[in-house]
Amino acid sequence: MSTETTTTNETAADVNQRGLIDRLTASPFVSRLLSNRLALAGIAIIVAMVVAALYARLFLDLEVITQSQLGTNPNRAAPSLDFPFGTDGQARSLLPRVAYGAWYAMLFGTVTVAASTVLGVGLGIVAAYYSDVTDNVIMRTMDVLLAFPSLLLALALVAIFPDELGLWRAVAALTLVYTPRFARVVRGAALTVLENEYIDATVALGAADPRVLIRHVLPNCLAPITVQSTLNFGLAIIDLAALSFLGFGAEAGTPSWGLMLSNGVSQGLLTGVWWWSFFPGFFLALTVLGFNLLGDGMRDALDPRMREAVD
Amino acid sequence: MISTRFVLKRLLLLVPVLVGVASLVFSILHLSPGDPALTIAGERASEEFVRQIEESLGLNDPIWVQYGRFLVDAAQFQFGESFIIQRNTAVREVLANKLPVTLELAIYGQLIGISLGIPLGILSAVKQDSITDHLTRIGALAGISVPIFWSGPLLILLFAQVLGWLPTSGRISVLYNVEAIRVTGLVTVDTLIAGNWEMFVSAVRHMILPASVIGVYSMALISRMMRSSMLEVIRQDYMRTARAKGQGAKITVLKHGFRNAMIPVITVIGIQFGGLLGGAVLTETVFAIGGIGTLLVEAIKVGDYPIVQGTVLTFAFLFTLVNLGVDITYSVLDPRIEQ
Repeated sequence: MSTETTTTNETAADVNQRGLIDRLTASPFVSRLLSNRLALAGIAIIVAMVVAALYARLFLDLEVITQSQLGTNPNRAAPSLDFPFGTDGQARSLLPRVAYGAWYAMLFGTVTVAASTVLGVGLGIVAAYYSDVTDNVIMRTMDVLLAFPSLLLALALVAIFPDELGLWRAVAALTLVYTPRFARVVRGAALTVLENEYIDATVALGAADPRVLIRHVLPNCLAPITVQSTLNFGLAIIDLAALSFLGFGAEAGTPSWGLMLSNGVSQGLLTGVWWWSFFPGFFLALTVLGFNLLGDGMRDALDPRMREAVD
Repeated sequence: MISTRFVLKRLLLLVPVLVGVASLVFSILHLSPGDPALTIAGERASEEFVRQIEESLGLNDPIWVQYGRFLVDAAQFQFGESFIIQRNTAVREVLANKLPVTLELAIYGQLIGISLGIPLGILSAVKQDSITDHLTRIGALAGISVPIFWSGPLLILLFAQVLGWLPTSGRISVLYNVEAIRVTGLVTVDTLIAGNWEMFVSAVRHMILPASVIGVYSMALISRMMRSSMLEVIRQDYMRTARAKGQGAKITVLKHGFRNAMIPVITVIGIQFGGLLGGAVLTETVFAIGGIGTLLVEAIKVGDYPIVQGTVLTFAFLFTLVNLGVDITYSVLDPRIEQ
């Protein structure tokens, strides 16, 4: 690549950085999003969960959390001042375990969503740009993946990976399950962008395919991608927990919400030990709600038609 | 009206998808670790016995031969015999036994979801930005955020453990033998056919909690889609025209708005039905209902491959059929789509 292009890139980056705050506050999308109280509530929930997750990761000792505390703590104790979320069947306090669950949910959720976004965006853009055979091969494959109910496909895929991978096999399976959704959304958006004259102009100027796709098509598809990612985040967290709940995710003893819920159902339900199910499930639902509130707010902010009043 | 040509075209388009689906299932199972012959024979079986089983299952044939045979068998819904769960029973038979259980649950759940979701969505759209609208929207968002495997246990704890109003698990009281009166496999229907009122009441009481858990989730999805779709339709010119010619607000919404707003809602109901089939795995686990969902989980855990193949393909087939139904309903609601 010539020096000239590099210089242009740098100045462009500089301009981007300098004006970032100004541009954000001036953006009608951001101001609309910030005036939506439900979206703000969503952001607040997500921030709180991220803080809890980081706190758990940095200040809690995973070994202590997973070790049996029989003899030290009361067994199956109901929530009290000493143990705000009660203790489980191995006398472990549930509060730090639930907090650590936030770290697992955030970490594995982020990896799943990021991986399926990257894969789906790549496939979607390539399908839209090269059309014909490439498009058909990619999109028909996506159709096949979409022909399965999502959790079911994930269950079948999880079986391919060895047990030792723990939650990572759930991540791998769900990444494959979500990729087609991103590919579809991005292909649609990219097809619209490709209609624009500036794309023809860029091609006429001799830009290589990757440059057209990454510098011109991708940035103009970012809005639908972001909305889809946010809404998918909630789904990923639920599905990861669901796979653990069914026994195809986190290894036994791991403080993941899904596993704690599975324990609560298999052992706590008939004995009336409600706190085993209640706390992990509550924070799971709250986190998912946070992402759904934000995702909904983003979609509304992008779609001004929804804001007009009806006469 | 629907033309036969349209339906035939759609049916033909299904073929490549179904072949793809079958191929994917075939590859997944061949990539999975674990040796089917060893699973059947048991860890301590002699090597010769294992070879014999391999030979009888055709595992020594080239992969293409196995693939071809699998496709031909799958097209006839032949998935061989169960290895472990119900040894020497045809997978088809096992599935035929369990499928009605899952379908019954999905149907009642979906009925609850549709009958509550559609009116709530319309109400929310017509009264946009009112208290009713806000409450419905927040309720719906909460509904899709709460996982079935949390709301289920909590409802069991409340209604079964604390209040003692409803049974905790299963399809019917253990006192009754449903198999003896089996006709359709749907327990609420079979008990009615048998004319046994007490059994019917027991079946319904067992259905209430699991169907409600599923129903709340699907109600949330349906009411969200109904609302946004109705909001879009309400702004159309033909709605204004109908009002301008003096038609009442209610009739306009229900007569002109409803039909047009239903198109995207039907997609959601279709997709949601697939979700219900997947979600059945969770609901059945929570409520200890022995349907096709719990069957699949068990089969994956013990390595009963014929069952896994049969179950996954049946689910995908059902899902694809529902989607076909959605496409056809589209063309009834909006004949322009056919072109």
